[in-house]
Amino acid sequence: MIAKTSPEIGGLGHSVKRKEDLRLIQGKGTFVDDVRLPEMVYGQVVRSPFAHARIKNVNIENAMALPGVLAVITGKDLEKAGLAWMPTLFHDKQMVLAVDKVLFQAQEVAFVVAEDRYTAADAAELVEVDYEELPVLVDPHRATDPDAPILREDREEKTNHIFHWEVGDRKATDQALEQSPVKARVDAVFQRCHPAPLETCGCVADFNTATGRLTVWLTSQAPHAHRTLFAIVGGIPENNIRVISPDIGGGFGNKVPIYPGYVCAVVASLKLGRPVKWIETRSENLQSTGFARDYHMTAEIGADRDGTVKTLRVKTLADHGAFNAAAQPSKFPAGLFSVCTGSYDFKKAFCEVDGVYTNKAPGGIAYRCSFRVTEAAYLIERAMDVLALQLKVDPAELRLKNFIPSDRFPYQSPLGWNYDSGDYAAAMNRALEIAGYKELRKEQAEKRAKGELMGIGISSFTEIVGAGPAHTFDIAGIKMFDSCEIRVHPTGKAIARFGTKSQGQGHETAFGQIVAQELGIPVADITVEEGDTDTAPYGLGTYASRSTPTAGAAGAMAARKIRDKAKKIAAYLLEASEEDLEWEPGKFSVKGVPGRSKTIQEIAFAAYTNIPPGLEAGLEAVHYYDPPNLTFPFGTYIAVVDIDKGTGEIKTRRFIAVDDCGNIINPMIVEGQIHGGLTEGLGIAFMQLIDYDESGNVQGGNFMDYLVPTAVETPRWETGKTCTPSPHHPFGAKGVGESPNVGSPAAFVNAVVDALAHLGVTHIDMPVTPWKVWQILKQKGVVD
Amino acid sequence: MPVRIEKAFQVQQPIDKVWGLLSDPRNVAGCVPGAQITEAVDDRTFKGSVSVKVGPSVTNYKGDVHFERLDAAAHEMELVGRGQDVKGRGSASMKMTGRLRSLPDGGTEVETVAEVNVVGILAQFGGRVIHDVSDIMFGEFTKRFEQQLQQTAAPPAAAVAAEPAAAAPPAPEPEPVNAPAIFLKALRAAVARFFRRLFGGSH
Repeated sequence: MIAKTSPEIGGLGHSVKRKEDLRLIQGKGTFVDDVRLPEMVYGQVVRSPFAHARIKNVNIENAMALPGVLAVITGKDLEKAGLAWMPTLFHDKQMVLAVDKVLFQAQEVAFVVAEDRYTAADAAELVEVDYEELPVLVDPHRATDPDAPILREDREEKTNHIFHWEVGDRKATDQALEQSPVKARVDAVFQRCHPAPLETCGCVADFNTATGRLTVWLTSQAPHAHRTLFAIVGGIPENNIRVISPDIGGGFGNKVPIYPGYVCAVVASLKLGRPVKWIETRSENLQSTGFARDYHMTAEIGADRDGTVKTLRVKTLADHGAFNAAAQPSKFPAGLFSVCTGSYDFKKAFCEVDGVYTNKAPGGIAYRCSFRVTEAAYLIERAMDVLALQLKVDPAELRLKNFIPSDRFPYQSPLGWNYDSGDYAAAMNRALEIAGYKELRKEQAEKRAKGELMGIGISSFTEIVGAGPAHTFDIAGIKMFDSCEIRVHPTGKAIARFGTKSQGQGHETAFGQIVAQELGIPVADITVEEGDTDTAPYGLGTYASRSTPTAGAAGAMAARKIRDKAKKIAAYLLEASEEDLEWEPGKFSVKGVPGRSKTIQEIAFAAYTNIPPGLEAGLEAVHYYDPPNLTFPFGTYIAVVDIDKGTGEIKTRRFIAVDDCGNIINPMIVEGQIHGGLTEGLGIAFMQLIDYDESGNVQGGNFMDYLVPTAVETPRWETGKTCTPSPHHPFGAKGVGESPNVGSPAAFVNAVVDALAHLGVTHIDMPVTPWKVWQILKQKGVVD
Repeated sequence: MPVRIEKAFQVQQPIDKVWGLLSDPRNVAGCVPGAQITEAVDDRTFKGSVSVKVGPSVTNYKGDVHFERLDAAAHEMELVGRGQDVKGRGSASMKMTGRLRSLPDGGTEVETVAEVNVVGILAQFGGRVIHDVSDIMFGEFTKRFEQQLQQTAAPPAAAVAAEPAAAAPPAPEPEPVNAPAIFLKALRAAVARFFRRLFGGSH
């Protein structure tokens, strides 16, 4: 049990208002684009209009002639410096600026630097590139056809096939599936989508020619990892690099990779000796930076006639675009996709994934998810509904029948994961209760009899977050621990620095609450800092819902080290032995002697003024936490939709989200995270697609084509929770930020399919737009 | 992105006169906003340029037009055009078939089917905007074509064939496609759709 602190202390479980909001809602935050340095100049990327073309010539004369233009950097220039290519985070390399050919529309071809942004933009228009168009490969299913153009001439392997990866027992699974009396299959595409953070990517690179020191203000979710990569790739001594991630306007995985624009800005600053700012436009962000998903999947479930699931076989084609720039630190090419057995007790499973190159933007980042878990959760939750349809059983019943029982945890999944804890039936039952499920089904039957279309969709997802244990995860060899350093000042106030980086998650508040919980110092007295590599301890950053499972844990552990020292000081001050002291948040007391106690503030003061003999002065600690396992939050989501037959329009009437993320630090922040993630899930399910036409033109490269849900489309989210603490986390917490994005797309799609199931519809690919639904209604003869 | 555009319009002029004008790209170019024929390579192939300004960016396509088929008897033609932006910002190609039909009232109906494939910045605006832009351009073309029909006497179709190597008549410096206006019109149509989505989708 976690001791409940007073509201003044504001430890775990208190809905403390977010400290960061005071500055953020007043426009007083500092984002990268707010950084203005003396002598600063501006960069602009020249991009390819073609998806696949040879570069015959780049003429920079006219651009250089424009007054105010300081430099135009081309791929050839970078090639001379050995920087035309850079390594990706997943064993591939990608072009910084194209040298011989371009491989996707909007690829970086040149970098113009000018005294101001307008001149830079004008000069970019004056860079003349002579292209020879080449055949374009857009469809991943055609990537390995004999007549497909080979995209990556730089690679030794002359093929567009990147990897084959499989896990599980293929033979046993094939056999079991063959013998299954019931087989259900779904072919589902998780479409290419984009995190589209409110703030696009950018940087200010400032190389000081006198000191040789490079400071980079960067939209980075992982400033330390980026510093190390800059050092390794750029050859600058790491002590001479300072990366500062200031306020970040949303990342969602989009700000994990290193982008060519960052590298160009650094190169330009080295060349010019002046600070160089580069900020993407919205279209540049959508068209060229880390996309998500693009998984073309097939799932087959083998089950008994009574609906008991036995076997799962999954086959997937992964479209990685022009470079395998998947920003994921697991050892597996498809990340954590093998969590695709989900919440269900499959006996046998097999999963294989093939990755291919196409003429599309590179990436494959984990958009608010832990490296392909969204694809996995979507697939299994869709497949379970297809099975339910086939067996004509209620999808809730089918799930309840097949959940991994709560007494089987820790649970070893057939594809190798060790689920830490779970009680899936509890979350499901809570969600059914909030929804009034039976009544809803009754209403649906009545409406169906009247010819109205109403659907109820369920998703009982299992998440896998908190990357990650050193044995399975690393970035360029660096293990995926995270860190916290706490300094308690003489007056009892404290600063806590973390290796993670909030992009809106509320770390400044929530992480303060962890320290407040452990030390009893009021949360108001604790400053939380992240993002400056000169001051924060080394960490791997924020994504994959890893902050609380790793850095949050490090915070508790560092605070406990301080508490241990505080106990020694308290014993000295109270003239008692340590064994006779007892702790309650904020003070040590002598057992059985009322009134004989020292507060943490008194102890902190003594740490600097009245140090016990033999003890070091000060009250500080640092902890690097390597999680023993991932955490497995879960939940059940229920969507209720009504469909307008005339227009195909889908209205989400209700959405019930019951989440279980173990012990909660700040319930208000968790609820906010869930609201945000559900809204993003709604966008993915109904609105979003980065599409390409057959010439490789991006269709979805601006906010008129790539739709972001607004308050208008967003229903009222009804949230609930159950609590199953993580057994291995220092205070029983699990990550949560991603759960709503991982779990909700299946609920939305299942609801629409459920509304149309009586017409024989078993699957609709996302985004489920009114147009698609209307076409189905027309095809099924529901409308003329 | 390949976009198929089917258009038909009627003019109050006899079919042979219309054919005469329409089968010479030099005349046609004069009617296309922003277009110009710069050279006649042979009797079926011409070089030219089209300038389209979308927002702040001018795309200046240079390329050639070739008649794959020119059937004066059936009044049918098939032409293929292809151009690349001079600054390397994209390319466009078009395959167009045209057919003329005499109307009972002595006028002529012109039917065209064009398959336009635009690659590059323009194409990113999506098929809807390309459709809208082409609608507006086509409207402008029809207007100018009718004006030209009224102004010029029909040159006999044979004349074109007779002087294959003749340099193009000094065409007046073409007005660039009145692009901001066109783009704004197209944009307005798209924005209207966007708002319909927004408010149509309200709860």
